[in-house]
Amino acid sequence: MTDLSRRQFAAVTVGGMAAPLLARPADAQAPVTAAEVFERIKAGIGVEWKADTVDAIKAGDPATRVTGIVTTAMATITVLQQAIKLGANLVVSCEPTFYARNDSRTPPATVESSDPVYTVKNALVDKHGLVILRLNEHWKRRQPNPFTTGFGASLGWATRQAASDPSRYELPATSLKALAGAIARSLGSRGGVRVIGDPSTSVKAAALLPGSTPIGTMLDTLPGVDLVVAGEVREWESVEYARDAVFAGERKGLVLVGRVVSEEGAMRECATWLSGLVPDLEVRHVPAGDPYWRPA
Amino acid sequence: MTAGEVLARIKQQLGVPWREQTYRDTFKFGGPDTVVTGIATTAFASMEVIERAGSRGLNLIIPHEVTYWNDRDDTSAVERDATYARKVELMKKHNVAVFRIHDHMHAQRPDFTFVGSARAIGLDSKHETAPGSHRFVIPETTLGALAARVKTHTGARALRVVGDPSVKVTRVLLGVGYATPPTPAPDVEVVISGEQQEADSSFDSPEYVLDAMVAGATKGWIMLGHTISEEAGMLEMAQWIKGFVPELPVELVKAGEPFWVP
Repeated sequence: MTDLSRRQFAAVTVGGMAAPLLARPADAQAPVTAAEVFERIKAGIGVEWKADTVDAIKAGDPATRVTGIVTTAMATITVLQQAIKLGANLVVSCEPTFYARNDSRTPPATVESSDPVYTVKNALVDKHGLVILRLNEHWKRRQPNPFTTGFGASLGWATRQAASDPSRYELPATSLKALAGAIARSLGSRGGVRVIGDPSTSVKAAALLPGSTPIGTMLDTLPGVDLVVAGEVREWESVEYARDAVFAGERKGLVLVGRVVSEEGAMRECATWLSGLVPDLEVRHVPAGDPYWRPA
Repeated sequence: MTAGEVLARIKQQLGVPWREQTYRDTFKFGGPDTVVTGIATTAFASMEVIERAGSRGLNLIIPHEVTYWNDRDDTSAVERDATYARKVELMKKHNVAVFRIHDHMHAQRPDFTFVGSARAIGLDSKHETAPGSHRFVIPETTLGALAARVKTHTGARALRVVGDPSVKVTRVLLGVGYATPPTPAPDVEVVISGEQQEADSSFDSPEYVLDAMVAGATKGWIMLGHTISEEAGMLEMAQWIKGFVPELPVELVKAGEPFWVP
């Protein structure tokens, strides 16, 4: 571990607190380790656990006694600091923690081994004995899909769900302009919302595509609705497809909110689910927030 | 003049050998026998671009990016789609040929996508550490002021920024399109580029820059959007083609930024 600067040290100590603030007192229940929580997740998630998966403990000692759990779409340093303040030492993250799909605490060969960002994050994890578990692929395969139900709930659309499909919603007819504004407000978006379509288009049948969506799914979805609200897409795929569809005369809208923001609802639902799975532990959801802002 | 004759001149002038195995730089509609009355360069042969170029007789359209919304321009993936059918009708109506120039544009020196993006953003070549390095050492400013200037220069409504707006920055690395360089290099403070996957990629800059804000490392990330990032260089492309196809009008017909923001 390299020496930490004053500012870096401040990041690691979380306002100078060495001990968790809200840790629950030891009770009569047998202590639950991170490994045991992970085993309960595998046993209870309701889908077959894959041999080859990104869903695994990415940092920390699996034998750690869990004092509390935080779920999040992305375990940024700020989210980890909030977990520590809440007395939680197990963080369940939808996206990688260490800046790449391989999610390794060791910087890749292309990054200096003394990289200050990796150094501070690793020091924070070690100092506070955090355990970080990625839960993505299996959570996504549950039915109904918590990514769509969670996204719908984040938008405040739960009562508008169409039939039994949590990816489809029937909204009161609204202009795309007004609805895009409402979506940005519901999600607490700072600068991540981008829209394609005529702002005056009246929309009511909406589909949700949280996370990252390939063109095939968009081709299967957009023609059947007025509006798609998605996390992220590739611009040369779905953005251009939506632009052409609108030029061709289709009264459609595509609202992109950002991948991480679109996944936060799923991780809020994950906190609720985990509360039932480990009832003797406090489980909270801490959103990573919208990473983006926009100049005025 | 036919589209085939225009392409023969492009290949001859390119300065790098033509890679016949490219799947990107091929005809997407029409073919070498199409009689050309004018040439339009653009980021995307969107339906609007086809309408505007075609109605003015610019019937050889040279986009940098895809026509059928997937990298291979595989029509089997889209052939049952109603918008695809209308796009084909429109191309027939205007008797256009569409030829993508992507891989060879990036192989060419200079790569016009970088030249155009630097021009559009307002990055001065005198601040580039070496020609073609794409690294600029600019007079000290803040990430917020830099982002505001980039937005004003490009007109990008939906530009997105990650990082602390008050942090002082001077070292900028320019990327283009989806070729967005990672942020950790010690001699890079701000990456400006087009587009990148937000997480679960080979390097997740949004999370890295958010964490850098807390860890005390100076980092910023400015995403222009794919079209804003790469379309500016299609002006340089048009001017270059005009130099060896003086018989025909050659113009940039902008696809323009697809987004608006609430």
